[in-house]
Formats: sequence, C-alpha cells, structure tokens
Amino acid sequence: MDTTDTEGASPPSRGLHEGRPALSPSGSLTRRLFQPRVWHEDERNAVSDELFFEGPEWRPFLKRFGTLIVLSTTIAALGLIANSAAVVIGAMLVAPLMTPILAVAAALVHGQAKRLGVSVAVLLGGTLGAIATGWVISRIAPGTLTASELTPELLARTAPSLLDLGVAIAAGLAGGYVLTHPRAGSSLPGVAIAVALVPPLATVGISLELGATSAAGGALLLFTTNLVAIVLSAMTVMLASGFVPSDTRIMVKGRLRLGFAMALTATVGVAVPLTLHTVDVVRDQGFTRDVIATIREWDPAGRIVQLEADVGDTRASVEVVVASSRAPVPAWRLAELLAHDRDVPVDVAVEYRLEQRDEATAD
Amino acid sequence: MSVVLALVTAACAGDTTEDDDEATVIRVFGNYRGADADAFRAELEVFSQATGIETDYVGTAAFAARIQDRIRDGDPPDVALFPQPAILAEMARSGFLVPLDGDLAASVEAGYPDWAIDRGTVDGDLYGVWYRLSLKSLVWYPPEVFAAQGYAVPTTWDELEGLTDRMKEDGFTRWCLGMEAFAATGWVGTDWIEDLVLRLHGPDVYDAWTSGEIPFTDPRIRAAFELFSEVALEPGEVAGGRRGILSVPALDAIDPMFTEPPGCLLSRQGSFQAAELPEDVTFGPDGDVDVFVLPPMEGAAAPLLASGEIAAAFADSEEVRALMAFLAGPRSGDLWAARGGYNSPQVAFDRASYDGELERRVDELVRSAEVVRFDGADLMPPSVGTGTFWSGMVDLVAGAPLDGVLIQIQSGYDQTTP
Repeated sequence: MDTTDTEGASPPSRGLHEGRPALSPSGSLTRRLFQPRVWHEDERNAVSDELFFEGPEWRPFLKRFGTLIVLSTTIAALGLIANSAAVVIGAMLVAPLMTPILAVAAALVHGQAKRLGVSVAVLLGGTLGAIATGWVISRIAPGTLTASELTPELLARTAPSLLDLGVAIAAGLAGGYVLTHPRAGSSLPGVAIAVALVPPLATVGISLELGATSAAGGALLLFTTNLVAIVLSAMTVMLASGFVPSDTRIMVKGRLRLGFAMALTATVGVAVPLTLHTVDVVRDQGFTRDVIATIREWDPAGRIVQLEADVGDTRASVEVVVASSRAPVPAWRLAELLAHDRDVPVDVAVEYRLEQRDEATAD
Repeated sequence: MSVVLALVTAACAGDTTEDDDEATVIRVFGNYRGADADAFRAELEVFSQATGIETDYVGTAAFAARIQDRIRDGDPPDVALFPQPAILAEMARSGFLVPLDGDLAASVEAGYPDWAIDRGTVDGDLYGVWYRLSLKSLVWYPPEVFAAQGYAVPTTWDELEGLTDRMKEDGFTRWCLGMEAFAATGWVGTDWIEDLVLRLHGPDVYDAWTSGEIPFTDPRIRAAFELFSEVALEPGEVAGGRRGILSVPALDAIDPMFTEPPGCLLSRQGSFQAAELPEDVTFGPDGDVDVFVLPPMEGAAAPLLASGEIAAAFADSEEVRALMAFLAGPRSGDLWAARGGYNSPQVAFDRASYDGELERRVDELVRSAEVVRFDGADLMPPSVGTGTFWSGMVDLVAGAPLDGVLIQIQSGYDQTTP
C-alpha cells in the first residue's frame, strides 16, 4: 500500500514499471495484465460513464436497471424452480448487478462519497428487489417445491465454500480488468456468469417463501461472498492499472485506505463462515469414505444405492440404502463398527432393498 | 439347543480372556436412540467416572428381534435393557441371564413397588431392574383449541364419547394415529387394545389375557378390537385414514395436531411422546399440548398402562454387577429426569429431580394409581407379543376381517420356540 502511494506520486504518464516495454512478451502475466498504462481524461470519463449515471441519464438508467432486475430474477427463479441450468445462465446474461458493484469499487478507489452512497443505494435496492421478485415467483409458480425438497440448482446455491470465494475474487479481477481495458472487448456477461449474482438472490427469495431459512442464509452468504470479493479485487485492479489519477490517490489517501480496509474486512468476514463450512465438507467427505469402507465390511453382500453421511462435533449420522439379495445385516452392527474409535455417537438408519434376479425362456 | 448353548459358552469364554488384557468395556444393548440414547449415555458416563469402568451403549429400533439374533449368534451383550419382560423371562429360563445376588436383590426389593419387582422376577428369582418407566394411557390434546371450542377434558368414558361426537359435529378429524415403527410396526395398535381391555373388563381379565389364559378369540377381547375398529378404522376418524395409520411413524402421528386448522385433536400415546414433539411445541396446560388420562369406563380411577425398560445382565463379573447396582441405585436416572423424558419406578426416587411438568404429572399418576399394568404385548411370548399381535394389528388396519385376525394372533402361541 505504501509502495503504491509513493510510486503513485509520479505523474500518471510514468507508471510503476516505467522504462520496461509496456507489453513485452517476456513480461510476467500479472505484469502484462495489470501494468499501469497511460490514461487520457477521455478514457477515464468513458469508463465512469459506464458506471455512474448522473443528471439526465439517471432516470432512464434506473428504469432499465429495475426492469432488468425484475426480468433477470424472474428468469433465474423459474430456472431454479424448474432445475434448468440453461435457463439460469440465461438469467445471468441480462442481470444488471455487475454495474453497481463495479461502481461501488470505482467510487471507493476515487474516494467519492456521494457516488459511493448512490451506488450502494442502487445495489441495495437491486438486491432487495431481486429477493422480493424471487419470493413472488416462488409464491405464484405452480409445482410442488417444498423447503425439504429443493431442486439441485437451488441447493447448489445454498452451501457456498472457499471455492466460491476463489471464483468471486477471479471474477472481480476480470471485471476490473475488462472495465479498465476497454479494448479487451466487452466480456462483462462472462464475468457475470462466473459469479452469478442474481441466481443466489432468487434462491434467497424462493427459500424465504418456502420457509427454508437456513437455505436462504446460505444463498445470502454466497451473494455476499461474490459482492465483497468483486469489490475488493476490482478495487485492486483499478488501482494497479492506473485508472485512478495519482493526484486523486494522494488527496483521498485516508478514504482510500478506509475503503480498502472495509472491503478487506468484509472479505475476511465472509471467509470465516466459508472456511468453517469448507472444513465441514472436507470432514464429511473423509467420514463418508470411512463409512463406505465400513459398510463393505459390515455387509459384504450389500451394494450401496444411496448414502448420506454427516459428522459434527457432538454426533455423526449415516443414512444408507443398501440393495442386497441376501438377508439384511442389523443396523446396530454398523453403528457399533462406526462408533468404534470415534469420540461421538453415531446414529444409523439403514433401508434394505431386496434384489432378486430371475431369468427364463420359453419356446 | 445344547449345541447353541455350548457355542455361546465358548464365545463368552473367549471374550473374557481377550478382555482381561485390556480395560474392560461393558457392552450395553437397548432400544434407546436419538435424544433418549444421549440421555442414557450421559447416565453411563456418570457410572464410568465414578468407577473407571468403560461402557459401550448400542441402541436398536428392533430390540426384540435383535436381542434374539444376538443370542442365536452367540454374541450376547453384557447388559441389556428389555422393553419386553417376556423376552427377559424367556432368556432367564434358558439360562442366559445372571440372577441378581443377595445385596443387590435386597436393595431392589426395598426400593421398588411390587408391581415393578414382579416384572424383573422370573420363577421366583430376581433377574431384572425396571430402569425407566413410561406411562402409556395418556391422551395428548391441544388446550388452546379445547378452550376456543369450549371442550372440557373428559374424566369418564361417556364424556370422552360426548367430546368426540362434538368434535365430529364441529368438522374435526378426531384422532391422530400412526403405527409405523420399522420392525416393530403395530405396537401402537396393541397399546390401544390393551388400554381398552383394561377399561372394558378390569385388571383380572387383563392379567388372564396377557398370561395366555384367555385367548384373543374370547368375546371379551374381541369387544376391545371392535371398539378400536370403531375409533380408528371408520372413514374420517383418523387423520390420513387407514393408509396414514400404516405409513405414519408412531411418534410423528401427533404432528397434524399443530397445523392450522388442526388435522386431528386427540392422540393416545405414551409419555415418551414428549421427546418427539415437533420443534417449538410447548407442553402444559398453557402450552401447545397437554395430556389427560384415557378415562375409565367404570369407577372414578383410570387403570394405568405402563411400559419401560428392564435391565438384566448376561455376564457375571464385578464390573457388570457394579453397573447393575448403579442402574438400580437411588440416584439412577436423576440426570435424565432433569433433562426430561424419564420417570423412575423407584419408591424413594427423589421427585425434585423431575424438572418437567409431564414427568411430575406422570409421577403423581403412577403413585396414586390403584391399578398399574405393564404393556400386555410385552408380557406375552415374543412369537405373540412382538410377533402375531403386532402383525395382526397391521392386518386389521389393512382391512383383514376381525375373526381371521384374532385366530391368526392366537396362533402365535403355537410357535413359542425362541
């Protein structure tokens, strides 16, 4: 941070790596991607125009934004309920949320309090609008969706992990890069797809309507992860690429630091539950491997048809459907085998399915 | 049989030698699962900390069948908690159980009421200690709905009939009833029959029936089945109808009581229902659900149907004797009583341990009752009590004619080989 500030004191025409060829083929990828370049005032204004809508542009922007929020969430919610990945991706293509998120990042790096306030308000309004739309769609959509039986597309958005944070950080870098390198082509849709901002919000709305509060919480965590990670990494790219004039940087040094600190704190804030959840997932996966091995020992003649294994701090539970052509082995023996060398009690539920094969021929 | 016995003896001997090398672990087998298992494990932990003796508890949903498998496989636990005194008796007679010795037997005889001691006694010898008592003759109901509708809690059978008639006029489904319970499906139905036999004909006929002297085909027993059919099998009487009775898990059947509007208003179910109430449902006169005793048909005092788990030892060692003494001791169960879901049959049990309204009420009811009888199906030979009686109730609900069902249940007495 200090290094950046000191170097930034030089005129914008002399960047961090002045003297080296700007796009030398031998330069590292990072350097090639984020090397500060010479910005003309026109370019900065053009980028700002993409993000901030002021004066006569404000009302048309708001109308377009609101319309796209409602439409994209409607498409996303229907796709989630119908369990159609293609429809959900379609919704992402028209989702307008990337603009206010990048605007928040741009306002933060420029220390523009008013623009920040407006962008945050737009973002918040869009967020609430999307959740409300998801709720309404879930209310009126026909079907038999219940809180205990969400579609896989919905479930996929209720349990974010550290991987999602990684995707969001990369997507934020991409968003910032595309914005500050206009000639790289307008690939914002691709970025929006990668992080999928609207589908998690639609999932929040649907889950709330169904009364699945923990699923709603998971989806909201996924959205928040995407949000803060995009803001943080977009800020980083904007600063590194020289998008922010150096005199501005010096002027708003305190605010800039505050903004960065906030974005960083928020990212760490979401990383904590994500890490805990990831640890849970990894632990469950390890437990599941143990369980599969134990089941083979417990009933060598049985074939696992379906298996759900969870392990927590105070107990573990296993639900298994076993197909077998032989007499069932009692569940308590499996429970006993699993509880052996484990500190927590293990609850086991076994469902046996009789498998019988018969063949015949006639002439 | 002698071959099996020899194998069992050999297996036991083998276990003992192995166990001598490492710390002894007492293997305890029972039917507690979920919250009950957690509470029981906490009790065992108290024992382990006091004595340094480790225990391993395993609970199964199908105790009656599994304990017999284990004996057949030559793999008995060290201690088991029998929900069926009849199976305990059968195993005691076959020589698998260890009688309780002098001091322990004397303390049980001093600390428990006769009807509790009887359940652990086989041919004059004490084998078992009644560990937990559950009260079965309870009807669960929603007090708020009763208040709103102006319903009064019935204290006689006539009042109960009047109440259920009014419920029907008001458009309610009266009874919540589910019998599904894995390998034990049907026990909820047998409980109904037992409560009805006790009320229709009194304890003497009940005792003669549960001991096999009066057959299922007797007109008096048939009358109880007919009454049950009226309550449960007529269309519209039970939430979910016959299909619901057969497919809804026993302790989930009460759930529709708490929907808006309620899907049923009365659930005849044991005190152990308390541990399996839906989340956020509160118990008590001012809560979401309360209980009254299934009213008597004659006289003012209702006979009570009780059940419970009776601890008995398969192994004879210092450690096992210590555990049996702990389970029979005056402080046994007090932690569980404080958690809720436990009542002790002991005379001297510290009633202050009961933290919950339900446990205190059950305690008062049992102490003041004139007639307490153990669940009859659990007293009959396993081939009947956990065999044809359970399956017969399923057949009856599924639509089989009553006379055939009664003959079929009675035929279980002809298959009484362990």
